[in-house]
Amino acid sequence: MPSLRPDQLKELYRLMAFTRRVDQEAVALQRQGELTAFPPLTGQEAAQVGSAYALQRQDFAFPSYREMGVAIVRGVDLVEYLRAYRGDWNGGLYDLYAHNFGPIASSVGSHALHAVGWAMGAALDGGGKAAIVYFGEGATSEGDVHEAMNFAGIFRAPVVFFVQNNQWAISVPVARQTAAPIHRKAEAYGFPGLRIDGNDVLAVHAATAEALERARAGGGPTLIEALTYRLGAHSTADDPTRYRQAAEVEPWRAQDPLLRLAAQIDDEDFTRQVVEEVEERVRDLRTRLLSAPRAEPEEMFEFVYAEPPATLAAQREELRQWHS
Amino acid sequence: MTEFVFRLPDLAEGLEDAEIVEWRVKEGDRVELNQLLGEVQTSKAAVEIPSPRRGLVKTLHALPGDLVRVGEPLVTFEVEDSQPGVVGRVPQEAKPARRVHLRIRRD
Amino acid sequence: MAQLTLVQALNEALRHELREDPRTLVFGEDVGRLGGVFRVTDGLQEEFGERRVFDTPLAESAIVGSAIGLALAGWRPVCEIQFDGFSYPALDQVITNLAKYRGRTRGRAALPVTIRIPSGGGIGGPEHHGESPETYYAHTAGLKVVAPSGPAEGYQLLRAAIRDPDPVIFLEPKSRYWTKEEVDAAAAGRLGQARIVREGTHATLIAWGAMTARCLQAAEAAAEDGVELEVVDCRSLVPLDVDTLSASVRKTGRAVVVHEAPLTAGFGAEISARLMETIFRDLKAPVLRVTGYDIPYPAAAVEAAYLPDLDRILTAVQKVLDY
Repeated sequence: MPSLRPDQLKELYRLMAFTRRVDQEAVALQRQGELTAFPPLTGQEAAQVGSAYALQRQDFAFPSYREMGVAIVRGVDLVEYLRAYRGDWNGGLYDLYAHNFGPIASSVGSHALHAVGWAMGAALDGGGKAAIVYFGEGATSEGDVHEAMNFAGIFRAPVVFFVQNNQWAISVPVARQTAAPIHRKAEAYGFPGLRIDGNDVLAVHAATAEALERARAGGGPTLIEALTYRLGAHSTADDPTRYRQAAEVEPWRAQDPLLRLAAQIDDEDFTRQVVEEVEERVRDLRTRLLSAPRAEPEEMFEFVYAEPPATLAAQREELRQWHS
Repeated sequence: MTEFVFRLPDLAEGLEDAEIVEWRVKEGDRVELNQLLGEVQTSKAAVEIPSPRRGLVKTLHALPGDLVRVGEPLVTFEVEDSQPGVVGRVPQEAKPARRVHLRIRRD
Repeated sequence: MAQLTLVQALNEALRHELREDPRTLVFGEDVGRLGGVFRVTDGLQEEFGERRVFDTPLAESAIVGSAIGLALAGWRPVCEIQFDGFSYPALDQVITNLAKYRGRTRGRAALPVTIRIPSGGGIGGPEHHGESPETYYAHTAGLKVVAPSGPAEGYQLLRAAIRDPDPVIFLEPKSRYWTKEEVDAAAAGRLGQARIVREGTHATLIAWGAMTARCLQAAEAAAEDGVELEVVDCRSLVPLDVDTLSASVRKTGRAVVVHEAPLTAGFGAEISARLMETIFRDLKAPVLRVTGYDIPYPAAAVEAAYLPDLDRILTAVQKVLDY
């Protein structure tokens, strides 16, 4: 893998700083009654941005519900992303094919199979593309994740299983999810598994780029376990002080992925300039989000079927009488 | 109805042929799965041959005393199209029984 | 035109669609080399190759979940779940994802997935091999639910299901797999149309899948007694052709719904409610249901006593005639 150029390091820093700042803003918006809920990702910026930065246009990313950093790298408009958390549309309003970034998946682990199926389809089309699927260490306990990895191994599907082991699934620690290291599970499925420092954006990028390239070239799947830490709550409705000690969190703050990358770039003028840029963009995002149209009740009937049954038309008509 | 040709299987490792000792069925017989078809003598042993299918014996391809080479037709069966799945059986289509008879009230 | 069993008719329908659309895929457990445990996919792998007709590991959730992914990549998956009772491990993928993905992506992702499930009892199968799961699917918005009654219907409806832009649960009546019938290979079906399979005047029997044939037998028996029963085959439960059902019952004034699945919250309740809502004034008797009992599908030796038979159907008919 060629190492990243200095301008690419700066681009990664911009993306991570923006991700961090939007994350904070989203939590604030929830506290202000503008979002119904939000699952913050602070602490996981390197894992998300570094891995997504290794994707090519033709690749496809399947996120869970905490992958805003990946959405940002894929160019998803954050108004269309955050409106999912504003309660306007489950899954988000963006076009999955415009960004090759799947809908927000809230059912833990079940989207791993969609990534495998997409990858099987890409291979049938002649290869040269890879899928990446994001989930946490908690999801590795789900049966679907097992089935997904088993299918991927059997069909040599071009897919990267990217596990952000952020140590906590709400209140349950990783020790309650698995008795064996997550990355070692890959061996049983017949493909490589590796554990990386998920707060080192360069390590994340290098490992993911290599795995994606192997997948695109027909070399099959890879499992990457990125060790990281969820510095915030599981969601805006969660209180982590009920289940973990501040003493546990502090060492991870020292491993803050933004601080580590800033130290590598070592350019205070640049980082100060990024803070200003990001503030400007977040102000704009807030304005656009809050002025975006709200969902209309009748929309709930849209998109259920391509060709809806007649019985649904009557129900839609009934709703229209009450909400038009 | 379709035909099923049962060819002499390799009854022992590397067997080339076998001699028909006797048939226990004749052409036109209905046989069940695993019903004894007859006995053959290989270079190693006398072996009883159970029927691989349920159906009608259409042709016996050799007489007692004949030598049949492995892979050559032994018996041709006429078998039902309806072979059951991996579990269960093929339901028999017959006029179903009933006890209830209807009465129309005229009023 | 040819005389085909339902197994052969479904095989022809799959062959036809695989030939016409190079994006159509067939996969599931044992569907490749073996040709399916009921031989519905017999010969397809030989004709279309291992890329388009393939065996999967024994994992129902993954069969449906990967079908979703394949559809997202522009393929048209037709997957087989081997038996009704083994469709439940895939229910989460069906309900959580297959049925909702189109909505979740605001209509941008098309999910033309067909899930074939050999269903229903009457073949003396072991546990988990005789169930009628239609209500679970019919209750899930975003799915279409199709239940053919015989070879001709099976051929036409399977082709229509595969071509349908929405996910279709295709419930094949196992006990009818070996029935022979004239099948018109040129006829393309349409989902959402019920069919009057026998005309009558005194009452309407409403069924789908294997119970359509049972209702025809009941109608023949009734005719011996001078009672003319109309028999309607729903063909698809979602969409449900309420117009054809209510027109028939408006004419006869009486209806009995017959299904293998248990009574409580079975799809017969839905049909009964629809009839009341649309033609209450034309009903001369309450709509009755003859169904499986509210118990797990029983063991083979006693399944005939569980499944609706002529006596139970005719008794219900007598009740609606006498009301």
